[in-house]
Amino acid sequence: MDFLNQTFLLLRKDLLLEMRRRESLLTMFFFGTLLLFVFHFSFDLAPERMAEMAPALLWLAFLFTGTLGLAQLFDAERGNHCLEALLLSPMDRGALFLAKTAFNFILMVLVEIVVIPLFWILFNLRSWDVIPNLFLVTLLGTVGFCVLGTLLSAVTLKARARELLLPLVLFPLMIPVILGTIRCMESILRAGALDDALPWLRLLIGFDVIFLTVGVLIFDWVIEA
Amino acid sequence: MHLTVRNLAKAYGFLWALKEVSFDLPAGEVVALLGPNGAGKTTLLKLLAGVISPTAGEIVLDGSSFSRSATVQRSAVGFLAPGEHLYENLTVRENLVFFTSLYQKHRALAQIEGALEEVGLKHRSEEYVATLSSGMKCRLSIAKCKLLEPGLLLLDEPYGVLDGSGIDLLESFLRAQRHKGSVVILASHHVARVLTLCTRAVILHQGRLTFNEARQQPWDSFTSAFGEFLPHGESWTS
Repeated sequence: MDFLNQTFLLLRKDLLLEMRRRESLLTMFFFGTLLLFVFHFSFDLAPERMAEMAPALLWLAFLFTGTLGLAQLFDAERGNHCLEALLLSPMDRGALFLAKTAFNFILMVLVEIVVIPLFWILFNLRSWDVIPNLFLVTLLGTVGFCVLGTLLSAVTLKARARELLLPLVLFPLMIPVILGTIRCMESILRAGALDDALPWLRLLIGFDVIFLTVGVLIFDWVIEA
Repeated sequence: MHLTVRNLAKAYGFLWALKEVSFDLPAGEVVALLGPNGAGKTTLLKLLAGVISPTAGEIVLDGSSFSRSATVQRSAVGFLAPGEHLYENLTVRENLVFFTSLYQKHRALAQIEGALEEVGLKHRSEEYVATLSSGMKCRLSIAKCKLLEPGLLLLDEPYGVLDGSGIDLLESFLRAQRHKGSVVILASHHVARVLTLCTRAVILHQGRLTFNEARQQPWDSFTSAFGEFLPHGESWTS
C-alpha cells in the first residue's frame, strides 16, 4: 500500500471517529463563534479601521479555536494504546503526520467557512467581494498552522500539562504564519489585491512547503520521542 | 520466521532496562518469557515489535536486520495485548477492516466474519468496541491477530481476563501459529500455563538474560532458576 493510501485510510478513520463523537468540531465551532461575539461587544470597528483590525481579530479567533482542535488531535489514539497499535503497524509514520494534519485542516476550514461570513455580518462590513481572496489566504495560513501544530502536538503528546504547553511552544513559532497571513489579508482589504503583500505571500507558501516536508520526514523520530 | 537477537540493550535515560540480551529462535519456537516485575519483559517485547529502538544491539528477522524504518518487516510482527490496540468508537468489524488494511492484509468480509465467528463475536460485529466486556475485547484482539497472520507473534500477559473458553481459544491459536512456523513469545506470570505451551523458557532478571533453555522433562535447571522469583515459602516443580 502506498503512502497516499495509508494517509487516506488514517484520515478516513479520524473523520469517522469525529462524525461519531463530534467533540472537536463542535467545541471549535462554538468557541470560534463565542470569540466573535466577544470581539463584537468589545470593539467598535469603524469602516476606515477595518483593514487594520479585521485580519488580526479573525486570526486571533482562528488561533484559539485551532489550538483547541490540536489539543484533541491525538485523543482517539490515547485511549486503549491505539497510538502504539499504529506504530506497530507497517505504515509509514509520515502518513500518520499527513493524515492528522489533513484532519485538523478540514476541521479548521469548516470552522472558517462559518466564522468569516459571521464576522462580516456582526461587524456590518460591506466588502463581501473580497471574501473569496481572503479565504484563499486564510487557507494558506491554516495549512501552516496545521502543519506546525500537528508536529508540536505530537512533540507534547506525553507531556503532563500538554494543553498549557502546546500554545506556549506553538504561538512563538507561528509568528511568521500569523504575520504573513495578516499582512496579506490587510492588503486585500485595503487594495482588493495582493500586490503589496507578495513577499508575505511567498513567505507563507515557503513556510507551508518547508514544514510540511520536514514534518513528513521527521515525524518518525518525533512520535517515538 | 527465524529470530536472532544480538547483544540487545535499551536505556531510558541513565537507567538500563535491558542489557546484552542475546538469543536465537528458529521457526516454530514458542518461548515463555518470564521474570519478576521490572525485569525488562515488556521492554524486550516492544523492541522486538519495533515500537521503540534499541540503544545497542541488533534484531535479525529471517536474515535481515530489523530496524525501526523496516516497514515491510513490521508487517510480519504481531503484538497481542488483550483488549488493547482497538478503537472504542469503531465497531468490531470496522476495527478489523481498519487494521487489516493498515497491515496491507486486505481480507474479504467473509474472512472477517469467519474470524469473528471463531472467537464468538459474530453477533456483535456491528457494535462499538466500547460496548464490549473486557473478555470480549480480548477475544477481538485474538481475532485481529488471526487475520494479520504474523510470523513473529508477541504476547504481553495474554490471559488477561479471558474465561475458560477464551483461554482454550487463545491456546489453540498459539498452537496453530507454531505449526505454521511462527515464532511466538509469551510474557506472562501464569507460569504453569505458559510452560505447558512453550518449547523454550527465557528468564529475565534486572534487564539481563539469566536463563535460556529448551523445555525438558523433568526440568530441574528451570526449577532452580525460577525458584527465587516465587513468593516466600512457595515451591515449584516443572
